[in-house]
Amino acid sequence: MSKSVKNLKKCPFNTIYIEEAAYEYPITQKVLQKYPDCVTITIKHYKDVFNRTNQHFVTQKQHPSLILAVKENQFLYTGPEVCQNFGYSRFYYTSFLLNCLFDCEYCYLQGMYPSANIVAFVNVSDFQSAMEPIAAKEPAYLAVSYDTDLIAFHNIIPYMDYFYDFFKQHSNLFIEIRTKSANQTFYNNHTPMENMIIAFTLAPECVIKNYEKYTPSLESRIQAIHAAINNGFKVRICFDPIFIHPEFDEQYELFFKNVFERIRPEQIFDVGYGFFRISRDFFKRISRQRKNSTLFLEEFSVHNNVVSYSEELQEKVRSKHFEILTQYIEKEKIFSL
Amino acid sequence: MVFIITALLVEATPIIQYFKLKKDMNIHAYQVYRNSEMALIISGVGKIKSAMAAMYLCSVYHADKQDILMNIGFCGTNNIKYQPGDMLIINKVTDMDTGYDYYPDIYYSAGIPQENIRCYSTPVLSKDHTNEKMIVCDMESAGIMEAAKKITYAHNVIILKIISDYLTPENLDKGLLQNYIRKQLPKIEDIIHEVKQMNRSLNEISLKDEKEALDALSEKLKFSESMKQMLLKKIKKAKLQGLNPLNILESSMNMEVNSKTEGKKIFEQISKKFEEMSI
Repeated sequence: MSKSVKNLKKCPFNTIYIEEAAYEYPITQKVLQKYPDCVTITIKHYKDVFNRTNQHFVTQKQHPSLILAVKENQFLYTGPEVCQNFGYSRFYYTSFLLNCLFDCEYCYLQGMYPSANIVAFVNVSDFQSAMEPIAAKEPAYLAVSYDTDLIAFHNIIPYMDYFYDFFKQHSNLFIEIRTKSANQTFYNNHTPMENMIIAFTLAPECVIKNYEKYTPSLESRIQAIHAAINNGFKVRICFDPIFIHPEFDEQYELFFKNVFERIRPEQIFDVGYGFFRISRDFFKRISRQRKNSTLFLEEFSVHNNVVSYSEELQEKVRSKHFEILTQYIEKEKIFSL
Repeated sequence: MVFIITALLVEATPIIQYFKLKKDMNIHAYQVYRNSEMALIISGVGKIKSAMAAMYLCSVYHADKQDILMNIGFCGTNNIKYQPGDMLIINKVTDMDTGYDYYPDIYYSAGIPQENIRCYSTPVLSKDHTNEKMIVCDMESAGIMEAAKKITYAHNVIILKIISDYLTPENLDKGLLQNYIRKQLPKIEDIIHEVKQMNRSLNEISLKDEKEALDALSEKLKFSESMKQMLLKKIKKAKLQGLNPLNILESSMNMEVNSKTEGKKIFEQISKKFEEMSI
C-alpha cells in the first residue's frame, strides 16, 4: 500500500500545513509526532492557504486539513452582541482554533471563513500574555471555544491542558468552554476550577440528525455532562440554536423534559437559550455554498441585519418553551437572547 | 468537462490517443483536441503560455466551477528516489520569479506520491543547481494555478508531473517520453474519475423540468420576476424534501387570469399549497 493511501486511514486530516515559524513550537512537534504518516506541506503564512479564493467549503468539511500557525496579533476580541454575556459587562472571546471538526449546517463559521480547514495556533504563551492585562482588571467573561469546539479537538491538541494552570491562577477570568463533544478526557483528567464553566450545547435528536453532522448523539452528550458534573465542573446547558419548524416543534417539548429527567436541574449552573440567528451577509454566503440545504430556503425575518425568526414567532415559541423550562430551573437562571 | 493543458505535442500525443480525442478544426490559435467530455490544448513552454492557453480553452468551451483543469507534463528532479517515468501529484507550486505559492486541494491519491514543485522561467540544469536541496521543477505549473483561480475550485485543479530527467533535459528520446506518459494514463483516468465523482456528489439538485414548468406558468399567470424567484425557492425546498412540486405547477396550468391582481391572488394560493406540501 502506498504511503498516501495509508495516510488517509490514519490521520484525521487530509494534509497538515505548517507555517515556517510554527515548527519551533512544542504543539507543532507533538502533532507531527502523532501523525507521522500524514502529508505535510510547509507554508509561509496560514492565510496563504486559509484565505485562498475558490475553496469549496462543503468539500473541505468532508476532508479537512489542519494548518499549524503562529497567531501574530489580536489575541482577544470583544464579545459580539448576538452572543450571551451571562451578566458580565466585560465580555471577550478568543480563538486558539479557527473552525471545528463538526459540520453543523447552520454554523456561522461557514459564512465567516473562506475555508473549512482548521487553523490551530501554536503560540500558547502569546495568548496568555495578551490575557494578562485583562485578568489584572475587574472580572471578565472569556469564551474560549466560540469559533471551534476545543473539547472535541482535545485528543488532537489538548489546548485546555496548556491553559489549565494559567486559568487557575487568573481567577478574575471567568472561562466558558462551549462544546457539543462527548469527549470526557478533560473532565476526568483535571480538577474543576471555580472560574470555569463547561457549556454543553444540546438539541433534540431530530435537530442533531438534520443539522449537526459529525456531532455526538444527545445521549452521548448527556453522558459527557454527567462526567463533567460528577467530576465537580460547573455546567451550563445551552439550548441554542432553537429552530422553529413544524417537524421539530413537538420534539422540543419532549426534549426539554427528557434533558431535565436525565440531568438534575440543581446540578446545572444556568441555561442559555437562543433562536437560530445569523448575520445577513453570512446567511447569503452560506446559501450560495449549501445549495442543497432546506434550512437556508426557509422564510426568515431580517432585523438589524440579523436573519432569524420574526419577533412575534420567537415570543410565541419562547413562552411555550419557558413554561416547560421554568418547571425545572428558575427563570433568573435562564439567559435568553 | 475536463480541460487538459500540456506544453508539448510529445506530452499530448499519448493522451489524445488514449482518450480518443479529435482535433477541433474550428480553433486555429492553438492545437485543441476534444471529445464530448474532455478538451486538450497544447500551450507551448512556459507559465505565461500555459496560463494563456488555460484561459483560452476554458473560455472557448464555457468552463464553469464544476469543471476540472489538469496540467499533465514532464518535470525534472535531482531526487534520485524517483525514477524517470514516475508520476507525482503536485500539492504546492512555487513561482520562482515572484516567490508566490499556490496550493491545490488534493482529495485523491491513486497511490501516487505528493510533491512540491518549483516553477522556473528557464530550464533548470544540474550544473546550475549546485546546492543539495532536493527539488522538482517545471515551467508551466504556476501559470496553470494562476489561471485556475479564475476558473474552478481548488479541488478541481490537478497538476500531474512525470519525471523526464535528473535536470539534464537535453537530447531526451521522444519515444521514451511518450511511453512514460502512456504508462501513467490508467492512473490519470482513475484520478479524473475520482474527482468527477466528488463533483457529482456536490451537485445542486436539478430543477430543469420545474424551471420550464414555472416559466410557462409565470408567463400565463403574469407573475413578476420576484414572484417567480419566490416560487422557485419553494419548489427547490419541496424537491429537496423528496416531494414532487411539478404536481402543483401542472395543476395550476389550467387557471386563467386577466390582470396582474388576479395573478397575485393565484400566486398566493400556489405559495400556500407549497407551504402545506413542505410541512
